[in-house]
Amino acid sequence: MVELPARDHGASTGGAPTRAALAVLAPVRGTFKLLLPFAVLVGVWQIAATVSGYSSYLFPRPTDVAAAFWDLGRKGILPAYIADSMTVWLIGALSGAAVGIGLGFVLAFSRPLRALFLPAVRFFVAIAELAWLPLIILWFQFGFTAVLFMIWYTVLFPVLFNVLTGIEAVPNVTRQAVRTLGANRWQLVREVLFPGALPSVVTGFRIGAGYAFRALIIAEAFAAGSGVGFLIFESRETGLTERTMVGMIVFGLIWLVVDRLFLRPIEVATVERWGMTAARL
Amino acid sequence: MTRPAHSGTEPVSAERGTTGPYDAAISVRGIHHVYTSDQTGERVNAIGSIDLEVSEGEFVCILGPSGCGKSTLLYLIAGLLRPTAGEISVNGERVTAPGRDRGIVFQEYALLPWKNVRSNVALGPKIQGMRRAERNAVAQEFIDLVGLGGFENKFPHELSGGMRQRAAVARTLAADPEVVLMDEPFAAVDAHTRMSLQEELVRIWRTTGKTIVFVTHSVEEAAYLGDRVVVLSRPPSEVQEIVTVTTPRSERRSSEVNHVHAGIVAGLLRAMDMHVPRQAEPGIDEHG
Repeated sequence: MVELPARDHGASTGGAPTRAALAVLAPVRGTFKLLLPFAVLVGVWQIAATVSGYSSYLFPRPTDVAAAFWDLGRKGILPAYIADSMTVWLIGALSGAAVGIGLGFVLAFSRPLRALFLPAVRFFVAIAELAWLPLIILWFQFGFTAVLFMIWYTVLFPVLFNVLTGIEAVPNVTRQAVRTLGANRWQLVREVLFPGALPSVVTGFRIGAGYAFRALIIAEAFAAGSGVGFLIFESRETGLTERTMVGMIVFGLIWLVVDRLFLRPIEVATVERWGMTAARL
Repeated sequence: MTRPAHSGTEPVSAERGTTGPYDAAISVRGIHHVYTSDQTGERVNAIGSIDLEVSEGEFVCILGPSGCGKSTLLYLIAGLLRPTAGEISVNGERVTAPGRDRGIVFQEYALLPWKNVRSNVALGPKIQGMRRAERNAVAQEFIDLVGLGGFENKFPHELSGGMRQRAAVARTLAADPEVVLMDEPFAAVDAHTRMSLQEELVRIWRTTGKTIVFVTHSVEEAAYLGDRVVVLSRPPSEVQEIVTVTTPRSERRSSEVNHVHAGIVAGLLRAMDMHVPRQAEPGIDEHG
């Protein structure tokens, strides 16, 4: 960890102009702090790969990876693969979440259905989605549908369980208060249970979407003919290891962007704005 | 006040002889309540037998030791619990389920954390199908009444305990109930806030003219607030004593110097303890 001088925290040192200048530079410093470890990493990588003397097939240099990045981009392969991966992930994650929320509410409101289906649901959760892959390929063949099913299956259960725990976490006294205001069953769902369960559902979706992102890599590797996951595994077989690394880096970047720019802000807007971080309902 | 048909209540059958004008806003007859504890699975005989009449516009306090079933009685009136035996009616309508004619204020506030003060208070009118502009106007009226003007856009977690309870009172009143049931509403706030909330509540009660049933375990609180104080015994609870407080509320706070009111407090304290024989005290008018 590289320590930068933090004068702005010191009460005794630094005059007012210095502090003001540092405040202006704060975003720049933030970006610098974020990128510095990666710059160091890439530098060490370049040196290690050069010094080791391995071929670029076994140990591609950052410059090889950058060239492959440019090449894949220029030929339109990378944009097309990213579009394929993101499309199937988005459709799978949204449809899985929709089914999970619907099923969760049905099970939350029906004790008999819960008693009937919950043990089976728990059993299916215990089967890792990867174990389904042979059957999925058998049933849906290679391609979009097989990958979609994997994503869908991976998102479904975390969302479903978080709907159940979210509804359960709504205090009884809150339901009672709204019932005494004259709410019928549907109004109770709309005004209390749905918004009350929402933070938990958002968290479930964030977790599920993260799992699904991992499932996406595997599903594309074994059951698809395109996509970033396909690129990673296909390139190793064709000896273009630097393309494998391009795929890895792309997945890392996409997840960071999706999580920081979409999933995390949604969580902040619901859970934290309502002061529900400590389950205070 | 005439009202549309209540949800959760049905007309009392004619053979019970309760037709005609109702003097009592709330009528509790032969209530007995046994429930199975969630924790221990044991059968708890909470209420032995309770009969109670509350007049329209009256402020009644239910006082008793903890665990005596005073909250259970309130939940039964609210329709959140069904009695094992007996019958409760509110303005002649038998209670079978919760309804907006019986508003309740909980110790835990029970505000919706995702709604700001305005939307929380406007919830009752919203449930009744009132349009946004109209229900916000109603909400504003009650927000101002409880002294929360300026905090309309705050979320519950941004408010102090006392302010949350003001918001909860405003929410209950905005739904325009016929009776307001309060379950130890000020037990979770500090002593100073509690006193000012009690005074505010008396002012609000005078302004709105609502019937209030107020559950508390504090003798001082009951003696300050109530027109009458109903003392319940330990479970299986029965009405042990009903004390009518005649001292004007403006004089009740000065119980240190006011012997009449001090006498009431002393009488209530004795009523809470079954073993001490009681003597007649000035200012106490016995019923029950």
